[in-house]
Amino acid sequence: MTTATAAPPSASTDQPGWFVPLLLWRGLTAFLLVVALIGVLVRRGIVLDGPIRWTLIAALVAAVAGGGLAVRWTMQRVHSGRLAGFTIDFLLAVVFGFVALNRMDMFNGLDAVGEAFNGSVAWLGIVVLGWLVSGFADRGEQANANLKQVARWTMIGGLAVLTLSMGLLPGLLEFASRLVATNVLPLAILAIAAGAFARILWSDGAAKLFGTTQSQGETMDGMLFVAPNMLGFLAFFAGPLLVSLFISFTEWDGLTDATFVGFQHYIDLFSDDLFLRSLRNIVVFGAVAIPLAVIPALLLAALLNSKLPGMKFFRAVYFLPSIAGVVGVTLIWKQLFNSTVGYLNFIVLKLTEWFNSIFGSGIEAPQPQWISDDSIALISVIILFIWQQIGFNTVLFLAGMQGIDGTLYEAADIDGANPWHKFRNITVPMLRPTTVFVVATTTILALQLFNEPFILQSPSPPSGPGNSTLTPVVYLYQNAFQEFQIGYASAVAWALFILIFGVTLLYFRRGGDEGVLST
Amino acid sequence: MIRKLVLLFAVLALVVAACGDDDGGGETTVPGDTVATTAAPSGGGDGDAALRWMTRPDNPEEAAVYGEISDQLSASLDGISLTYEPGSNEGAGYQQTLLTNLSAGTAPDVFWVPGTDVADFASRGVILDLREYADATGHNDADFYPGPMVHLTTELETGQPGNALWGLPRDVSTFALYVNLDLIAEAGAANPVELAAAGEWDLAAFNETVDAVAALGGEIKGYGQSGWWGPYGAWLNAAGGGFFSDDRTQCALDSTESIAGLTALRDLYSGDSVIPYGEDPEAPFRAGTVGMFQNGRWATPGIRTVDFNWDVVGLPTGAAGPGNWLFWGAYVVNANTADPAAAWELVQALTQADIQAQISELGANIPSRVSEAALDAFLGFTPPANNQAFLDGLSTNPTTEGPLWVGSWPEFVTLMDSEIQAVVTGARDIADFQANICTETAAAFGG
Repeated sequence: MTTATAAPPSASTDQPGWFVPLLLWRGLTAFLLVVALIGVLVRRGIVLDGPIRWTLIAALVAAVAGGGLAVRWTMQRVHSGRLAGFTIDFLLAVVFGFVALNRMDMFNGLDAVGEAFNGSVAWLGIVVLGWLVSGFADRGEQANANLKQVARWTMIGGLAVLTLSMGLLPGLLEFASRLVATNVLPLAILAIAAGAFARILWSDGAAKLFGTTQSQGETMDGMLFVAPNMLGFLAFFAGPLLVSLFISFTEWDGLTDATFVGFQHYIDLFSDDLFLRSLRNIVVFGAVAIPLAVIPALLLAALLNSKLPGMKFFRAVYFLPSIAGVVGVTLIWKQLFNSTVGYLNFIVLKLTEWFNSIFGSGIEAPQPQWISDDSIALISVIILFIWQQIGFNTVLFLAGMQGIDGTLYEAADIDGANPWHKFRNITVPMLRPTTVFVVATTTILALQLFNEPFILQSPSPPSGPGNSTLTPVVYLYQNAFQEFQIGYASAVAWALFILIFGVTLLYFRRGGDEGVLST
Repeated sequence: MIRKLVLLFAVLALVVAACGDDDGGGETTVPGDTVATTAAPSGGGDGDAALRWMTRPDNPEEAAVYGEISDQLSASLDGISLTYEPGSNEGAGYQQTLLTNLSAGTAPDVFWVPGTDVADFASRGVILDLREYADATGHNDADFYPGPMVHLTTELETGQPGNALWGLPRDVSTFALYVNLDLIAEAGAANPVELAAAGEWDLAAFNETVDAVAALGGEIKGYGQSGWWGPYGAWLNAAGGGFFSDDRTQCALDSTESIAGLTALRDLYSGDSVIPYGEDPEAPFRAGTVGMFQNGRWATPGIRTVDFNWDVVGLPTGAAGPGNWLFWGAYVVNANTADPAAAWELVQALTQADIQAQISELGANIPSRVSEAALDAFLGFTPPANNQAFLDGLSTNPTTEGPLWVGSWPEFVTLMDSEIQAVVTGARDIADFQANICTETAAAFGG
């Protein structure tokens, strides 16, 4: 660990044996970075013109500069050299390691882990037995050391038999044979070398050599702890996000070369009737669905927050729609909405008949075409959305209510406040942070509406009658996966992102202005 | 200690799982990479070529059958081991999975595409022209229904049928009317199956049956169809019209015949004898409240669960005949496959009569191979008793669904769907439709 000496940050004058190899390695990694970026520049697959070329050239210059600085700082034995070198080596070890494993088809083989495990799972019983015995040996004031030793070896033996029965030996042989393949071995060697140098730079000796202070060492510790999450974030979220931004500036069908078109897609969006219709639909949807998914949830939470018998049961019942699969739920609602055999119209019919029998009126029961009438198709989606969201929002409000200090209500009781006064003047203001969160998350979900109209309208087009249920995400899907217009679809996605970001920012800024976020 | 043991076990399990002998269907490879390095599955070839293939099953049962077929072929094809991938999962549909894999360069060696997508894939160089392999193996295009083969042999340069071969059709399907015989008898209407046998099943007889069943009252309706292009297209076809000109380079929605078909459909929907346009008619049909419901063979497995007497009958004859569709999809070969010859061998194997019979037995598909054995087998998969209605639909000059080799089929459909719906539901005047629809859809042809 990097438990380096405290200030002063003076570097050690002793030069350890690994320092010269480290310098050579630094030079090699800087060279590899340059080669990699040149490779990207000359690779076919994208039309490298205009800003893309300049961006890559800028990245190349930055990489050369970064690699050169790392060499220089290492030679100067300053902490920056240790930090930069460690970061580069750590990333190289991860990247080279993953590429090597991928070329060895290791990730495809992972799919077989369940099958291999299932065939030998019985041997796991020995491990479990050893674990139980180990636990038994620990009981009492004096642990039974001999029994514990037996338990330990039982577990080791069980794992050994399990792995052997899963085919460990042929697996290792196969692993070795794939490892020495010409397109794998150099990468594996580079990964191991990078990992070794990262370990060296992580050591106390390196901390001393580079004059790392305690706080600098702790910063490195923290960075390493967050590294797995950060790498996952970069690889699976930030990376794709940036790639989609890049794609939105290209004409690309996902299959052939992309052509850079600049802001053309974004300009086209303003004159695209279908996109504008989808925006209109989602704004109407949000304006109706968000209040109806939030306000009743608040009232429901207030009811469920009482100490009446059976409240736990009702809390569970109201939460159920949120944990049910959206596809299954939507299919059920599709049946309910059916205008001829759906239960909604059946209930309307029976209620009308009952009303007519009581009052002797001759009212004809309305039989709305919930899904196929363009004037109400969006309302059907709103109903479904509210039904799904209200339970989850109720639980959030309930959690917020249970965090309110009870003495506030006691004081109000003393002042003679009635339940409405307490709700209005204590509960609602104290719930403001929760409310901001609930409104923001509901808004985000509403603006990303896709599954509900897609499934409700199936097998008819998901845009619904007269495009009444066309949402931006449905439109995005149609462009990307039905019309092969990935570039344009990415522009739609970014337009939607900007909308969601803007609305959410507005909520939180307003919440922040009122001191909500600091509450 | 325990933690170290668990870590060691995890690493060893990874090695074992990733590199150990795979007896579940052979090795997987990425196109362009090296081929199999592990042993072939038991009973299979020597692992000379390891192919991945993907097709979209209609249901889990069909996915299981495809998996079994993969194992069978893996055992019987000399030197080829196979891995089957269903393609779709809970998080992504087939088309998403396929397109993503193609973009990433990880698509299987052989995969299925809808008939309407063949041109998109072919023109982008994603799939192989298999003609040279076909010629070398004695393949005969005439073994399959001619409609799909027209599109599968279309030349990129001319946009017309020629000497290309983009794949072979997996299966075919066509529309029929699923009829509730109990409801029709209760309404006192003639049995459509008998009318069809007597050659009297035309639009007039159809309308009479619809009205008679709807007259039973309550929630009972005479007819229902879904709101996508297939069902309404059949009406246009039956009147002698269609979506495109004969060479498929121009819109023909404004032709007199197309407008006649659309008018007949609009008139049908102007009353309340039918399920409202755009509503799913399958649920009410299965509930026993609809007399007739138009759908393809793929609906048969679901309809088999109903508890009333039912059968199928061909579409009623219009001015130009029954006006049916021939739906199809094809197995194609990835342009990046490492072994095109083996991939072609797999395509042939997947479309041989006995393999198609195994799929057809589930009730959702009709063999694409024009072979007596395959068709006889299909006729035996009852109910419905009148399976012949589907075969008649295929043989009486149906319009074959297909891509636009000049233009964009998805774009055309998106534009067409909403406008047709507007006409049928009365939101758009049909004269206005006729005057403007081909201008409105011109963008799909690059206009």
